[in-house]
Amino acid sequence: MAAAASSSSTESPETTTERRGIPGAQFVEDVETYLSQIGLDVNSALAFLQERLQQYKLVEMKLLAQQRDLQAKIPDIEKCLDVVATLQAKKGTGEALIADFEVSEGIYSRARIEDKDSVCLWLGANVMLEYSCEEATSLLNKNLENAKASLEVLIADLQFLRDQVTITQVTIARVYNWDVHQRRIRQTATSSTAKVS
Amino acid sequence: MQQGTGASETEVTWEDQQNINKFGRLNNRLHELEDEIKVAKEAIDNLEDASNELILTDEEVVRFQIGEVFAHVPKEDVETRIEEMKEVSSKNLEKLEEEKESVVAQMAELKKVLYGKFKDSINLEED
Repeated sequence: MAAAASSSSTESPETTTERRGIPGAQFVEDVETYLSQIGLDVNSALAFLQERLQQYKLVEMKLLAQQRDLQAKIPDIEKCLDVVATLQAKKGTGEALIADFEVSEGIYSRARIEDKDSVCLWLGANVMLEYSCEEATSLLNKNLENAKASLEVLIADLQFLRDQVTITQVTIARVYNWDVHQRRIRQTATSSTAKVS
Repeated sequence: MQQGTGASETEVTWEDQQNINKFGRLNNRLHELEDEIKVAKEAIDNLEDASNELILTDEEVVRFQIGEVFAHVPKEDVETRIEEMKEVSSKNLEKLEEEKESVVAQMAELKKVLYGKFKDSINLEED
């Protein structure tokens, strides 16, 4: 899956890149040129930029939720790997593994796990499959790697998004200041013409 | 952290924008690191408490949590395991502290650059 992202240090400031459906924020070299380019007056431009900011915030919340899910999933998979590894270690010794497990909140029961070559893995959607210990380990490792890779992509997406938010906030401030500046110039111009006449 | 620009005529170049973006990213990373360091410190404290309890107990078999179950493990094995876990946790904590120092240093550099150009027009402090 190709992400159309480019590193910001080599990218030309005029191009607007987009990344996985997130539109890039256009960097503004000069406020006046920007306003004439988009053909909007100051207030409409500000409204447009504010709306963009809201959209970015929505996407950010969605990505943060996905990140939280993944960050919870990874320790889960690592715990499963731990259990399978322990079972495998016990295999050679011939003794059974005795474990206390939770039956319900506050109630625990003792289990005696004999030497077995296979484990059952919960795959989700009410499906549980039996695997040999080695297959289980490799499947869990693969899931762990996928989860970690997805998390990395997600974190990069979030960074890109936050950069666009920053650019948009700075642009809003600059457009607003330019407008204030223009009004001041116009005011001094009218007051000085008033004085002259 | 606010990044407002005041009513001045200073132009914002692409390089300035990139510096501001980088500062924002570093600030986010700093907060994440502080949270992670807190979690790592708690984990190390728990392991310390656990190994202290182990020394006090006179039971031969300890219920050690693996995954969601508590397996019956002989005391020496548990001691070894906890020592290993403490090693891993303290190495992790060291790495996090190092990264935090580097992030703080980079942020100080960027603050100098940005305040140098924008002076009062920009605010880079925590709110």
